[in-house]
Amino acid sequence: MLFNTPVFILGFLPIALAGFFLLGRWAGRRAALWYLAGASLFFYGWWNPPFVLLLAGSIGANYGLGQAILHARLAGRTRQARLILIAGLALDLGLLGWFKYAHFLAASLAALAGWPAPHWHIFLPLAISFFTFQQVMFLVDSFRADRADAGLLAYANFIAFFPHLISGPIVRPKDIIPQFQGDTVVLWNTNGFAEGLDIFLLGLAKKLVLADTFGGFADVGFAAANHAAPLGFFEAWYALLAYALQIYFDFSGYSDMAIGLARMFGIRFPLNFASPYKSRNIREFWQHWNMTLSFFLRDYLYIPLGGNRHGEGRRIGNLMATMLLGGLWHGAGWTFIAWGGLHGAYLVIHGWFRRLARPLPAPFRPIGRLGAHALTLLAVILAWVPFRASGLPACLTLLRGLAGLNGIALPRLMIRALPALGWIARPVPVLPYLGDTRTLAFPEITACLALGWFIVLALPHLHQMSAPTRRLAVAGSFAFAMQALFFAPAVIPFLYFQF
Amino acid sequence: MRDLGKLLCACLASLALYGLLFALVLDRPLSDGTLRLEMQRKLAYAARLPSPKLLVLAGSNAAYSHRCQVIGPMLRLPCVNGGIALGIGLDDQFTRWEPLLHPGDIVYLPMEFAQYTVSHAANRLGPDAAILLRHNRIILARLPPGRWLGAFFAADLRALVLSAVEMAVHTAGLAGPRRALAGKFDAAGDRIGATAAKARRNQAFLATLDRADPTAAQIDSGYGSIEIIRFLHWATAHHVHAIGGLPTEFAAIRLPAETLAATGALYRRNHAGFLMLPGESRYPHRDFYDSPDHLVQGCQIAHSIAVARALAKLLRRAIRPPPAWVKKHHCR
Repeated sequence: MLFNTPVFILGFLPIALAGFFLLGRWAGRRAALWYLAGASLFFYGWWNPPFVLLLAGSIGANYGLGQAILHARLAGRTRQARLILIAGLALDLGLLGWFKYAHFLAASLAALAGWPAPHWHIFLPLAISFFTFQQVMFLVDSFRADRADAGLLAYANFIAFFPHLISGPIVRPKDIIPQFQGDTVVLWNTNGFAEGLDIFLLGLAKKLVLADTFGGFADVGFAAANHAAPLGFFEAWYALLAYALQIYFDFSGYSDMAIGLARMFGIRFPLNFASPYKSRNIREFWQHWNMTLSFFLRDYLYIPLGGNRHGEGRRIGNLMATMLLGGLWHGAGWTFIAWGGLHGAYLVIHGWFRRLARPLPAPFRPIGRLGAHALTLLAVILAWVPFRASGLPACLTLLRGLAGLNGIALPRLMIRALPALGWIARPVPVLPYLGDTRTLAFPEITACLALGWFIVLALPHLHQMSAPTRRLAVAGSFAFAMQALFFAPAVIPFLYFQF
Repeated sequence: MRDLGKLLCACLASLALYGLLFALVLDRPLSDGTLRLEMQRKLAYAARLPSPKLLVLAGSNAAYSHRCQVIGPMLRLPCVNGGIALGIGLDDQFTRWEPLLHPGDIVYLPMEFAQYTVSHAANRLGPDAAILLRHNRIILARLPPGRWLGAFFAADLRALVLSAVEMAVHTAGLAGPRRALAGKFDAAGDRIGATAAKARRNQAFLATLDRADPTAAQIDSGYGSIEIIRFLHWATAHHVHAIGGLPTEFAAIRLPAETLAATGALYRRNHAGFLMLPGESRYPHRDFYDSPDHLVQGCQIAHSIAVARALAKLLRRAIRPPPAWVKKHHCR
């Protein structure tokens, strides 16, 4: 079930909310939490019922392992705790590896050996990447004794709570489990509900109004690149700029919806996006983009690998390993590994730069900040090429277009309106790989992109907005969101569902 | 509770602002404006014709693949070509045309298959939805309430941006509907100038098109079929002679026999005629201009001659030879 569908908004959500708070009032917290866990499993099963067994089994097994680790650790049996931890991690990562990476690995090995590609049909369970990381976190925190003792009910809700089950945010056990254990969770709070609804509606608008619009523009350009079409300069850049906006609005929209939904149930989730495209360096970008994943990678991979504690060589190695695995986590494909590798390289270069560069003289600092912002944004946007492209040939096709190697063309109408454009571009009736191939597609997409980048670069993100500003944003977007929700020809899933 | 009230007010304000903007302020003078002007011209021309007259009504297949200036003189009937675009809702089209039809008039309907199978949801949101809300609210009021809702919610973010762009381009005098239609239609509403020379650059594109025909079940259950049947009943009640026909399509794709049977039955069951041409109105790729619904000019004329002869036989009318000017044009 998708958050951006009428069946969720008008059906599942009101029933889940009403049942939870009514049971909490009349039958107590435990009954309400059992109901919520059941509702979350129903939400998950809507997609493919048999996989509810996998999720429920995984929750049960990890809970047992986590409790065993914690008790062994608290009793001073560290070796036993470590062995159980290793077994638990092997189980979780083994499942993830089988479902998500087995085919990719086999196909890559077969290609290396010159054998025919295998034709395995392994069905990837929805959200396995997210709930695996949540459970890894739980096991590691159990080993670190960095969590309170929790009952199965609170743990099941921590993992399966439907707002974050499918695509995060990835939340820490010690932040969330105590919220489910408190008695206040089942008390209805009108203002909390209003705040959650407010955030949910703005997240919904980000997804339906902005992300899906920009996705339509990006799809045309990337589809052309997949077919090795000779993309022109503007067609390639517009597709890439549109994709950068699509993935931001799609994922941050999802995160806002998850945060808003959780708030409606009295649960507070951490922030997951904080204007990442405003970052002035790549480190800052990762502190503001998918923040909960970044913290997970830092605290559960980079630092355990040794972080920066064993010299420059190890630091670079650890950073590259973390980012390559982060890329691979997004999808079983070389393009995702290339994306992770690019970001790893950016972070390594940034580390060197921080150590070697001297501060600019005061009068040049504003220009320096602007340059740093522009360079960071360019680096991030260019890295989306392998992330979105279907393969290396498509990447190269798009990069040729971005470099202007297929020429620069503009619709004749534009050159007639602004003759100076004729110096840089040749006139054509329409740009064939831009939008819906109409003369006016160029100014239309230009205006849409300008609006999108204005929102991203000039406006505060919605968690920085005051309540009145947020209401203004609702007034500006609600009708468009309802239009898309009830009248759009198709429901477009969230991009991160595939990860 | 106050926070929730304020949020509700923001939502209502959003809906009110959206409605005001798209009903009264924003417009798309180029894309929608061109369709509107074309529609106005055709309706105005039809209003001037004496009865009995012939109306050819479908999507763009009517305009591109049929020539009233051939069919009309051959049947000795004043003729208007009412076809504009596939996406314009049939309920909207019939509502506009019905007041202009009188006893004894003939309506030939070579509807595109997509017009039969269109869903209710898609019909509500066609390009005419914005036109109805912005310019033709009286016609909109005559349509079912579902259409009002569709027209109210027809505009997305792109429509907002496109309206701003089109209004700016139109105001600057860079483009306009009159210029867009200039030289493309004759007085009767037939598309002219789709020459074989111009069609040559589209041949590679046409070769990539491979449109599958709908099944009989899709024809039977489509929302468009419901609208067509409703119109056929109206025509019977008002002594207007309705005749169904097949749209032009690629000969390389064979029309399934059950689809043909279902299409014909839809008309015959509802007291209308059904016209079948030899070859089921299917022609080689090279006869088309830029889509399977659009014949090049020479073939448009040849097809129209065939339609006129078949109509004459069906209507038991005397037939005249084609007008002399058609000899200048050749199909293949």
